[in-house]
Amino acid sequence: MDYIVKTRPAKIDPLFPEINIDPGDVFDFPDDSVELPAIIGKSLPRKDGQEKVTGRTKFGADHNIPGQLYAAVLHSTEAHAVIRKIDTSEAKKIKGVRAVLTGEDCKVRFGHMLVDQPVLAQEKVRYWGEPVAAVAADTLHLAKLAVRKIKVDYEPLPVVETVEDALRADTLVHENWSDYQLLGGCAPVPGTNIVDEFVLVHGDVEKGFREADVVVENELFCSMIQHAPLETHAAIAIADHDNCHIISPAQSPFMIRKIIANAFGYRLDRVRVTCTDIGGAFGCKVEARLEPLCVALARRTKRPVKLVFERHEEFAAALARAGVKFRIKTGATKEGKLTAQQIYIYWDTGAYATFGPRVNYNAGFASNGPYYIPNSFVDGFCLVSNKSLGTAYRGFGITEVAFAHETQMDALANKLGIDPLEFRLKNALRNGQESVAGEVMQDVGISECLEKAAEAVGWYDGPLQWRTAEGKLRGKGIACFIKLTGTPSTTSVMLRMNEDGTVTLLSGSREMGQGVETVLPQLASSVLGIDVERIIMSPVDTAFTPYDKTTTSSRSTFHGGLAVMDAARDMVRQLKALMARHWDCPVEEITYDKGVIRCLFDPEASVDINTSFFTRYLKEEPPIIAVGRYGTKDIFSPPDPDTHQSDRPTIMWMMGAQAAEVEVDPDTGRTKIIRIGAAHDVGRAINPDNCRQQIQGAVLMGVGNALLEEMIYVNGVLVNANMVDYKIPTSMDADFETMVDLVECPHNTGPYGVKGIGEPGMAPTAPAIANAISRACGHQFKSIPVKAEHVLFRE
Amino acid sequence: MDWRDVTVYVNGDEYTKTIPVQMTLAEFLRDELFLTGTKIGCNEGECGACTVILDGVAVNSCLVLAVHADGKNVLTIEGVSEGELHPLQQAFLDAGAVQCGFCTPGMIMTAKALLDRDPAPSREVIRKEIEGNLCRCTGYNRIIDAVEKAALMLQKR
Repeated sequence: MDYIVKTRPAKIDPLFPEINIDPGDVFDFPDDSVELPAIIGKSLPRKDGQEKVTGRTKFGADHNIPGQLYAAVLHSTEAHAVIRKIDTSEAKKIKGVRAVLTGEDCKVRFGHMLVDQPVLAQEKVRYWGEPVAAVAADTLHLAKLAVRKIKVDYEPLPVVETVEDALRADTLVHENWSDYQLLGGCAPVPGTNIVDEFVLVHGDVEKGFREADVVVENELFCSMIQHAPLETHAAIAIADHDNCHIISPAQSPFMIRKIIANAFGYRLDRVRVTCTDIGGAFGCKVEARLEPLCVALARRTKRPVKLVFERHEEFAAALARAGVKFRIKTGATKEGKLTAQQIYIYWDTGAYATFGPRVNYNAGFASNGPYYIPNSFVDGFCLVSNKSLGTAYRGFGITEVAFAHETQMDALANKLGIDPLEFRLKNALRNGQESVAGEVMQDVGISECLEKAAEAVGWYDGPLQWRTAEGKLRGKGIACFIKLTGTPSTTSVMLRMNEDGTVTLLSGSREMGQGVETVLPQLASSVLGIDVERIIMSPVDTAFTPYDKTTTSSRSTFHGGLAVMDAARDMVRQLKALMARHWDCPVEEITYDKGVIRCLFDPEASVDINTSFFTRYLKEEPPIIAVGRYGTKDIFSPPDPDTHQSDRPTIMWMMGAQAAEVEVDPDTGRTKIIRIGAAHDVGRAINPDNCRQQIQGAVLMGVGNALLEEMIYVNGVLVNANMVDYKIPTSMDADFETMVDLVECPHNTGPYGVKGIGEPGMAPTAPAIANAISRACGHQFKSIPVKAEHVLFRE
Repeated sequence: MDWRDVTVYVNGDEYTKTIPVQMTLAEFLRDELFLTGTKIGCNEGECGACTVILDGVAVNSCLVLAVHADGKNVLTIEGVSEGELHPLQQAFLDAGAVQCGFCTPGMIMTAKALLDRDPAPSREVIRKEIEGNLCRCTGYNRIIDAVEKAALMLQKR
C-alpha cells in the first residue's frame, strides 16, 4: 500500500500535561510492517442488535414521564399569508386542556445559523404546515380535539414556489433579514430571498473554455424529497424559566442544547438533552424540531409535555432535502481532458435557513466531482421560498451535485465518442494533483472505485445499451462523487473502567443504525486489548456525556474513533502506573501488550486484564478513568471567502463510484434496476459487513431518489404528504443485487486509515441510475426522479 | 366518549381494561400495557411498523380497534422469544438485517405469521409478504435473507 505516514506535532494541553499524550503514538499504525490488531476488519454483529430484535429498544415516542401532558399542533393551511386573527376561545373551553399557545403568547425564535424560525408563526405563515398554534392537554385525544376548534383567519400573500420566483424577489419570504440574530455560517442579502451565497474560483474558466474543443451546457433539476425515517419526530420537555430537560431522539444533542439555550435564554449548562434511541434520522434529527414547541408548552403549564409527530405532520412540518436547479457548463479537449467547469446552483431551501447554507457550502466544494479540472467557477445560492425546510440530508447536497457533474461527464463522453468510464478515468483526481479548492490531494482512491464499480456490472462484457429479446431497453450508467466532512470540528470521549474490569465508553456519537455503538468499542478494544464484549457505550446525555459536535457528515468513526484511541492510550498508561505501584517497579519496566501487563524483569509479574483475577488490583485504587479528544481546528485552513481556495478545507475527503444496469419498459415507461455495483473508498473497514450494510441500504434510498421520490407542491400546498402518495422503496423495489466493493486507500490521519461511509453510499446511486436510463432510452434526462411519465413522454 | 370493557390475551397473559371505543390496538398495547415494542410509524396502515399477530393473522395494529381484539389472542414482539432468541430474531442479527431497528419488530411479526403458515417460502413469497413493511435503512434484501435463514433453522428443529 502506498500511503504516507504523517504524524502531527505533539500538542500538550497545559491543563492536563500528564493526561495528554503524544499524538505521534496514535498514528504509528499505518505501516506495512505493523500488523493490524485482530479486532480491526472484523465483522462483529451489532451490539444494539439484541435489544432491537426483542422490541426492548426505546425510541422517542416510547418514553413517558409521570404527570406528562400531551401536545398537538395546528399547522398552517396556507403557504404564505398574514395571520389576521386566531380564535382559541372554543379550544380553551375544553375540560382537560391546560394550555393553548399561539405566536402572540410565545415570541421565541430559534435557529442554528440564523435565528429566523418562530416556535409558532409570528404575524404571518411562510409555508404550508408551519406550526400556528399548540395545545397541551391531559390526553392526546383532548389535545387533538382542541386543535380542531382553533379558527385562523388568513390573508393570502403571493407564493414563492420556485427558485425563479425567489430570485425575482417580487415577493420576499422574509421582509427584513436584519430582524434576526445572525449566529454565523451564512450572510443573508438584504432585500432579496438569498440567505447565503457560495463562490468558488479556481484558475480562469473563460481561458479554460477557450482551450476546450467541446463545451456542453445543461439546465438540471433535483426534486425536493423527504428523509422519511420510520420513526417520526418526538420529544418530551420538562422546563421552567431556569432549567430545561429535553428527551428526544436527537442526532446532535449538543447542537440542540445550544439552540434551545439561545432561543429561550437559558444558561447552556441548565439545558439537558437526554437522548433516546433513534429510529432513523438521515439528517432530519440534527436540529431542534419539536423540542422548542415542547419547551414553550412545558414552561407555560409547569408540567412535562410530550409531542409526537403523526406521519402527515412529518411530511408537512418536519424537514426535507431542498430542491435544486443547476446551470452547468463544462469543457474538454478532443482527447477527453477537462479544461473548465462553471456551475450555478440554486437551492430551494424552503421557508427558513436551517442548515441550508451548510448544504450550499459542502455541495459547493463537491460540485466539480472527483476530477482534475484546472479552471472552475461555482456560484451557489441558498434561496428561501414558501415550502418545507430543506436541510441536512444524507450527504449535504452531494447526490444533487453528483447528478449535475455526472450528467455532464456522460454528455461530454458521448460527444467525444469516448467510453464514459474511460472519460472519467482520464480525468479522475490523482495523488499530488490540485483540486478545484486549491488543495494538493492525498490518499485518493477514486480510479480504483470507478474500475471496481464498472467491473461489478460487467461494463466491458457487452454494449452499454441494447434491446432485449422481449423488446425492453437496457442501459448501463456510472457515476462518482467527492464529499468533504465538516471541518473544523471537535469531539471528546471518556473511558471508565468499572469495578469488574469492564469498560464503559461515553461518547456523544449517536447510534442511528450506522453501527457506531459497535465500531467505537472495536477501536477501543484495538488499543486496550480488552475483549470487545466487555466494552459498551453509555446512553447519551448532555448532562454527563463529553462534548461532541454532531453525528453528521460521516464523521463519527473518524473523529470519535481518534478520540477513543486517544482515551484508550491514556487508559493504558493508567493501567501501567497501577501495576507499577502494585509490583513496586518503575513504570518504564512495565509492558502492555493486547491486555497483558508485565514487568520486564519479573517473570511472575504478569496479569491479563480480561480475567476476573485482574479486578482485585482495582480495589480501593484511584478509579481508572480516561479522557480522549480530537479536533481539526489546527489542520483546517479557512477558505478564502471570495474564492473558497484553501490548502486544507477538510480533514477528510470521501470518494466512491457506482454503476447501474437498468431495464426500461418502453410500453409502460417503468424502470427496473437489474444490478448495481458500488465501490467506495472507506480507507479502512473497521467492521466490513457494517460498511456493506450501510452502502446496500443507502443504495436503495438512492433508488427511491432516482425513480420514485418527490415532494409535489401545487400553489404552495404539498399534495402528497403521506406514505401512499409519496413512495419510498418497498421490498418489491429492491429485487436486484448490490455488489459492494470496499476499497481501502488509507487516510493518513484516520484511525487505521478510516474514511467515512454513512452518507457516501447514497451519493452516486441516483446519478448512476439516471445515466443508465438516459443511455437505455437514448435520451438525456435532465431531472431526478426519472419517473415512468418522464420516460413515456420524453421529447 | 364511549367506554367499553375488553379482555385481551396478549402474549399469553390476560388483560381486562376499560377503554375508549376509538382506541386502536396499537394504542392499547403501547399506552395501556406499556408494550412499546410495537411501533407506530404512520398510524394509517402504510408502513407496517405496528404489525402484530391477531389470532394467527398479521395485522396493522393501528388499523384494528382494541375493542375488536376483545376475547382474542395477540402476539407482539415481546412475546416472540421465551428465554433465548426466536430463530427469526437470531437470523435478523446474523444476516445484518437490523440497522436503526424501528421497523424490526413489525418485520419479525410479519415474517413469523408467514413462517407459521408456510414453513418454506420462496424468496419471491417472502419479498411479497414484507411489501407492506417499510424499512428506510437496510435495503430489504438482508431481511429476506434473514427470513430464509430462519425458515431453515425452524425446519431443522
